[in-house]
Amino acid sequence: MSNQVWMVTFRIFRKKGNLKPYFEDFQMEVKPGEYLLEAVERIWAFKDRSLTFAHACHHSTCGACGMRVNGKEKLTCITLIKDVVDDDGTVKVEPLRNFPVVSDLVVDMGNLFLNLESVGHHPVISVVEEPYQDGIAAGKGSEADYIRLSDCIECGMCISACPVATTTSTYLGPAALAGAMQASLNPDNGVLKLVDCADGVWRCHSAYECSEVCPSYVEPGRKIMQLRRKVMAERIKSIFRSNN
Amino acid sequence: MSTDTNKPAPSHWWKWFDPRKSDVGNWAFILNRITAIGLTVYLFVHLVVLYQLSQGPEAYNSFLELAKHPFIVLGELLVVVAAIYHGLNGIRVGLTTFSDTSSVQKAIFYVIALVAIVGSLIFAVRMFTA
Amino acid sequence: MKKPHVIIIGAGFTGAATAHDLALRGLDVTVVERGALVSGTSGRTHGLLHCGGRYCVKDQESAIECIEENLILRKIVPQVIEPNGGLFVALDESDVEYSKGWLEGCEACEIPYKPLTPQQTLEIEPYINPDLKIAYEVPDGTFDPLRIAMAFAATAKSNGAKFKLYTEVTELVIDNSGRVTGLKVWDRVTDERSELYADMVVNATGAWAGMIAEMAGANVPVIPTPGVMVAYDERFVNRAINRLCKPSDGDIVLPQRRMVVVGTTSFEVDDMDYIPVIEDQVELMLDRGSALIPGIRDVKERGVYMATRPLIGSGLTGRSAARTFKCFDHKESDGIDGFVTITGGKATTLRRMAEKTSDIVCQKLDIEMECKTAETPLISYRQYHAL
Repeated sequence: MSNQVWMVTFRIFRKKGNLKPYFEDFQMEVKPGEYLLEAVERIWAFKDRSLTFAHACHHSTCGACGMRVNGKEKLTCITLIKDVVDDDGTVKVEPLRNFPVVSDLVVDMGNLFLNLESVGHHPVISVVEEPYQDGIAAGKGSEADYIRLSDCIECGMCISACPVATTTSTYLGPAALAGAMQASLNPDNGVLKLVDCADGVWRCHSAYECSEVCPSYVEPGRKIMQLRRKVMAERIKSIFRSNN
Repeated sequence: MSTDTNKPAPSHWWKWFDPRKSDVGNWAFILNRITAIGLTVYLFVHLVVLYQLSQGPEAYNSFLELAKHPFIVLGELLVVVAAIYHGLNGIRVGLTTFSDTSSVQKAIFYVIALVAIVGSLIFAVRMFTA
Repeated sequence: MKKPHVIIIGAGFTGAATAHDLALRGLDVTVVERGALVSGTSGRTHGLLHCGGRYCVKDQESAIECIEENLILRKIVPQVIEPNGGLFVALDESDVEYSKGWLEGCEACEIPYKPLTPQQTLEIEPYINPDLKIAYEVPDGTFDPLRIAMAFAATAKSNGAKFKLYTEVTELVIDNSGRVTGLKVWDRVTDERSELYADMVVNATGAWAGMIAEMAGANVPVIPTPGVMVAYDERFVNRAINRLCKPSDGDIVLPQRRMVVVGTTSFEVDDMDYIPVIEDQVELMLDRGSALIPGIRDVKERGVYMATRPLIGSGLTGRSAARTFKCFDHKESDGIDGFVTITGGKATTLRRMAEKTSDIVCQKLDIEMECKTAETPLISYRQYHAL
């Protein structure tokens, strides 16, 4: 099984400078059980050194290698070849949507990082505040003392998949709103006010494509709704507060 | 050339129309928007029709004749289907917004889609055989 | 007086940390990187913030560097670190035998440790192999491989440094006196070629250091030494888990987000632009990883990748080559001025590698500025995109 070799055509999106983009085909020998990013890397290493693509950790913690594979958002370092294409097939590889394309498969995700910063999302957080086993932290003892990297790897796939993000560039977006949900655990930081706006929690139209594509257990759509409920509760409470 | 511009990508107001490669949730959203547009257009048409009523019995009777035309019946069926779907998806949106059920939103969609299809068929049969 | 311009080739850990150090000392810095940030070896680091325990028997110089840098990084860049400590776990009698020398090593390198009975170990980490003999708690940690470099890069940018990504060096520009004065680059974003000039060029390309040094006719004895890493889809532990044995294959299992990552192996190659995954090594990681955490056998593999360490050649190979770093001043070693190479080392010592390199660069440029990176907290890694 692991010695099987397939022949697959990779149809890669190419764009250099201000020239018109186009698709370029590369015939590659691949193993069905290997990860898509390996094939993209081999295209760069052995076929075309001008190919640009972002990658770093190769194990779904850095969030750099998100791409659209046959139109669907995938984190290519953990996407198996056999899950997206068959022997003698063609697989289309494009950059993520809703971000400016820098070159080939590279997009500029600066906006995402800055939005997460503005809502105050914590990149490291206690396992009590962001549990990783549905409410139960592994191990006994002082769970409160364990700090872990937050689930969100800032890969941008949720924004690429969001139909609303396609139509407006000012929407905070699923990643930042899910991040705001985490930040709102601290009740004093004003994040609820920040997201209670037309481009915040109210812009979501429940497509839930974000949760479908998130590779890192964030479930942004769910978090947006949790945040919405919090915002509504806060609004109701503030009516009674100001009446005192 | 700097690779870091951190500007948002240009937006395209028409791109939400494209449901290819997306999952059922996006289909739900697209149908919701299309039915919303349809129902809004219908609202204006309905107001025009009601205006006809105020023009006296001849205007109303001639409208009733027109209304029996199969094209108009089809149009009315589309309005009914749109209203059924939009209302049901509205329940899905309300459910997932007010309760923590977004993890089963696809299942909810399949249920409402089934109810919408059954409801539409019932109305179609009744409207075209009346 | 115009600030001296330094070009650093490579935006891995060493390049990013050196950019920060030099920018903090007031120099004008440009980093040139052919791919994305940390897209070479650095991005694929296991992510272990070493306490030094792994090296305290045979390589005490590395061990001491590790524990010192561990404490500094916890202070200056906590935003990317899981500071939950680590365990050295003895699974059989030969491990227990090894522990004697290990404890002496820890004492010698001043690495704090706390012995735990099997019961105590399982209480804090219930998924460890229940047949363990003894364990020791140490101040290991784990870190995010991209964001640690981004934090250094962001702080460097805040002090004026520039990062040119997707820009490949094709040639070094050398003047008549044999001095490196700049480089020719290929901007892979626009497919355009141009030249950049500098008062000093720092070769921070890690495993590729030999290749870049050759462009100047210099010799840097780097042995590219890849190893495999395998990620599994369950976060079994919160601490770094080390096998208490002499450094060998698959003796470290780390938590990373909601996974555990088992590593690694060690073998030599000539061409390091692409290393194919070797199936036997993946199998070995499964065996070695599940010896420490039996539950690994029952969960899905999430990812597999190869990473190429830069080991400094000195006649020794692989596991016995020292894991320290070396900075080559090519004026001394090859008669080529304006050119410095830093290679070897490990992720945990990135700041120190940058300090030594920056000291040499400043000395060569007649600049008297002390290194302040040990006391300077880094700014938020996200600011990389704001500057």
